[in-house]
Amino acid sequence: MTIGRDDVLRVAELAELDVPARDVDGLVAQIGRIVDYVAQLNDVPASETAEPFQAGPDEVRLREDTPGSVPLAHGIERFAPEFRDGLFLVPRLGAMEGE
Amino acid sequence: MTAGTDTAALAGRLRAADERGLNATLSWSEGTLEAEAARIDALRASGAALPLDGMPVALKDNIVTTDAPTTCASRILEGYRSPYDATVVTRLRDAGALIAAKANLDEFAMGSSTEHSAFGRVQHPTHPDRVPGGSSGGSAALVAAGVVPAALGSETGGSVRQPASFCGIVGVKPTYGRVSRYGLVAFGSSLDCVSVFGRTVEDAARVLSVIAAPDPLDATTVEAPPLAPEPVPGTLSGLRIGLPAEYFPADLDAGVKAGVDQAAAALRALGAELVPVSLPHTAFAVPTYYVLAPAEAASNLARYDGVRYGVRRVGPAGNLPALYRATRGEGFGPEVRRRILVGTYVLSAGYYDAYYQKAQQVRNLIAADFTRAFAPGGVDLLLTPTTPSPAFRAGEKTDDPVAMYLADIFVCAVSLAGLPAMSIPAGLSEGLPVGAQLIAPAFGEARMLAVAGAVEAALGPAREVR
Amino acid sequence: MAWETVIGLEVHVQQATRTKMFCGCIASFGDPPNTNVCPTCLGLPGALPVPNAEAIRLAVRGALALGGTVHATSVFARKNYFYPDLPKGYQISQFDQPLSTGGAVWYESPERGRVACSITRLHIEEDAGKSLHDRYPGLTAVDLNRAGTPLAEIVSGPDLRSPAEARAYLVALKQILVYAGVSDCSMEKGTLRVDANLSIRPAGQAALGTKTEVKNMNSFANVERALTAEYERQVALLESGGRVEQVSLLFNAATGTVKPTRSKEDSHDYRYFPDPDLPPLVLHEAFIEEQRAALPELPEARRARFEKEFGVSAYHAQELTSERAVADYFEETVRAGADAKATVGWVLGEAMAGFNADGRFAVSAENLAELIAAVADGTFSLQSAKQVYAAMLAGTGRATTPRLLGAELGFVQVQDSGALAGWVDEVLAAHPGEVERFRGGEAKLMGFFVGQVMKKSGGKADPKGVAPILQKKLREG
Repeated sequence: MTIGRDDVLRVAELAELDVPARDVDGLVAQIGRIVDYVAQLNDVPASETAEPFQAGPDEVRLREDTPGSVPLAHGIERFAPEFRDGLFLVPRLGAMEGE
Repeated sequence: MTAGTDTAALAGRLRAADERGLNATLSWSEGTLEAEAARIDALRASGAALPLDGMPVALKDNIVTTDAPTTCASRILEGYRSPYDATVVTRLRDAGALIAAKANLDEFAMGSSTEHSAFGRVQHPTHPDRVPGGSSGGSAALVAAGVVPAALGSETGGSVRQPASFCGIVGVKPTYGRVSRYGLVAFGSSLDCVSVFGRTVEDAARVLSVIAAPDPLDATTVEAPPLAPEPVPGTLSGLRIGLPAEYFPADLDAGVKAGVDQAAAALRALGAELVPVSLPHTAFAVPTYYVLAPAEAASNLARYDGVRYGVRRVGPAGNLPALYRATRGEGFGPEVRRRILVGTYVLSAGYYDAYYQKAQQVRNLIAADFTRAFAPGGVDLLLTPTTPSPAFRAGEKTDDPVAMYLADIFVCAVSLAGLPAMSIPAGLSEGLPVGAQLIAPAFGEARMLAVAGAVEAALGPAREVR
Repeated sequence: MAWETVIGLEVHVQQATRTKMFCGCIASFGDPPNTNVCPTCLGLPGALPVPNAEAIRLAVRGALALGGTVHATSVFARKNYFYPDLPKGYQISQFDQPLSTGGAVWYESPERGRVACSITRLHIEEDAGKSLHDRYPGLTAVDLNRAGTPLAEIVSGPDLRSPAEARAYLVALKQILVYAGVSDCSMEKGTLRVDANLSIRPAGQAALGTKTEVKNMNSFANVERALTAEYERQVALLESGGRVEQVSLLFNAATGTVKPTRSKEDSHDYRYFPDPDLPPLVLHEAFIEEQRAALPELPEARRARFEKEFGVSAYHAQELTSERAVADYFEETVRAGADAKATVGWVLGEAMAGFNADGRFAVSAENLAELIAAVADGTFSLQSAKQVYAAMLAGTGRATTPRLLGAELGFVQVQDSGALAGWVDEVLAAHPGEVERFRGGEAKLMGFFVGQVMKKSGGKADPKGVAPILQKKLREG
């Protein structure tokens, strides 16, 4: 197995996902199975310098600097969980504070 | 006939499908149907050209619309109402199509069976204990059940061709960049393609030609000649069709093999030359896909954080991290969580080169296989089975994610290479539909659709194959 | 122990565009919260980014002005982290393939004279929104008007050796970017922001010490103050046997101190990868050369030319070129016929009163040139000319050129000898005692008589014409 409990918990924290304690072992097994399965890519002889694949056009198309954006058909308050005085509201940042 | 007279019958079909437990729709209403009909009547009165005049079209519920919720079959977007319409929706409406319903799917299009919907699994239209395929299973089932003649789905790794095959209908994935993704909720952005289901090749082609256009709002759309449907050719003489050895393994389901053989025979009878070819990196398509798609998904789904829209949950600590973790932990279902974790892992410090970077390189090798096959002197199209077996039973693969992923083994490589491809009905195996897949070079949709039309005409209605 | 300071700066400037980096929303400040927003900059499901050509053009100009190499292909990458004012859960930036690498900024070091600071890279990214932590108790409020505005991040090499050098570098960098028209570079408006990395090492040691990052400075002066405070903090730590931890610190301008932030664990695993929504940014050679050709003369070159071409002093050349608009105004005034030396005094003196916050001068260069010429030919005294200038600023009078306005307001000097002789006669008649004393040898009384004539004339007599008449009349007597 290439992945362990600590890896799954570290990644869950990076992804801001609660993983209930009862689910951890099952998840470790499933993620481990998937990661082991995709690890077979290491058997493919691909040169280190091989260019990554580019989907779509070869170069990005740009937009002129003229105002005009897709309008909102209804107000933000229709979809925002907490919106007051034109502002989105969330609880204080706790451990993330200081920015 | 006005669209107004259509809506009662359409509503009746939608209601009947819901009542028999197909579970293919997530939202529709008679009010919306009537508003759509009135809108089309006004378009007619204005004298606008309406290539889809009154045609009812269902939308996979990961395509945003202002007049109905867009949930992606996820708790995290329950009740979400988009304040803008997807570009494809605007194009359909302008062409006179009637948006009939939002269709069920695997949550955020992650799945191959439409069992991973937060709002319950979709039944196979003729075998209720089986899956319709996925992730666009709701759209496929609505078309197969005769509720609508056409529907939009989305493909990231075969999510239209595979259910089209399972349900016995036509499913077309265009070239990446041919159709705007603006308003298609992102899963794997470098792979995602709005794709089309139709009862017939012609219906699918009509819808595709309406939605295929460069979009100033999507920087990955390509300036390409418009996609005008071509007439079905009487002969295919001079056409070279490749049969890639890797798509016909020894353990291929016998009924599937027989169905594809039947399509091959029809092509040969029309004058096409069938040529053996090799796509040597095919076996790596699924592992490549299951690195890249989750990596992109992990980033694309970071925006569902409970701050600006959607469902919000706050854990006991009551602070912001508690909001993030509870919202996302409870809002996403198990398959979405798994993929976010895998995707985060393969991008994280120390693993990027071994997984993500490597998968990008293998993706290039997979694409190069196709480039070689389609090079001058090579073949014009490829013919393969769409899936290794017909529709499987519900619950059969839900415990083993990798087994589920392997249901996409014949559709994944095309998605990675960004090519157009389609599934067409090719008989029945023990009563279950079988699909044959045609794969074309980039922007070769018109010829692919014309050849598919010829096969469809030659095979006639689906019947048992041996 | 003698410590050497090593400082590198990460400067974000906001390109002067009308719209945001990846959507057509207006990039402006001070509007009601969450009004300049759309599906893209709100990070709504299904929305996509399309890059702003002008933001890229301005970044290219900035890179070229700094002497960087603009790459034919650069790649937008996603920087993944969670923060409430980051709508998509990632910031679109550039990572291993930035727009430009290399370059240098020459600046005047207070300690080392004229030195160069290397530029490591310049890349394009989008800004985040604003989090307001003190608006509602227990809550953070988020305004996304700023989310998605374009930024160019300019990373310097670790070449700065003191907080004062950091400040001098910033002054020079800002001059260049303003000259090139990239940005207005206002720390006050937030269109220029600075993060500073600082480490110290024993003088003579080659290996770098552990660096810390200092943020939250709102002026160049505060960058210097903050870095001085951090230098002192690190010296105190090391000299008391402690260790420097790699932390981020916030500067508090009120106390002049720096304080470590509680930063989130793992916050540095940003999981960068190429943004699949954006194909590579390809810049063709012809485009890059066109931008290079369109660059204005930069401050360094202009300063040298002013000295040589107009004979102004090194000090004045520096002052005149510190802002492009000032240098342009000086040059236009001289080109309109004004004497260069006289123009220096006007432009750096009187004219600054008419230099608006928007970077324009209220009195045109042509009018200033005419005013300077009118002093030279004796039409106005310097004193009157300043009053004419003030009148032009205030909009007094109807005439629109300095000569006509001066005439209208009665500032033209009287040079007519008849009129001057009349005033002289009156003054001499009124001061017989002084006349007597002058004739007795008190030559310094000449100044008194001139003053009296000026007073009598209400300031209009041309003093150059008055003196000979006085001389003549006093001798005659």
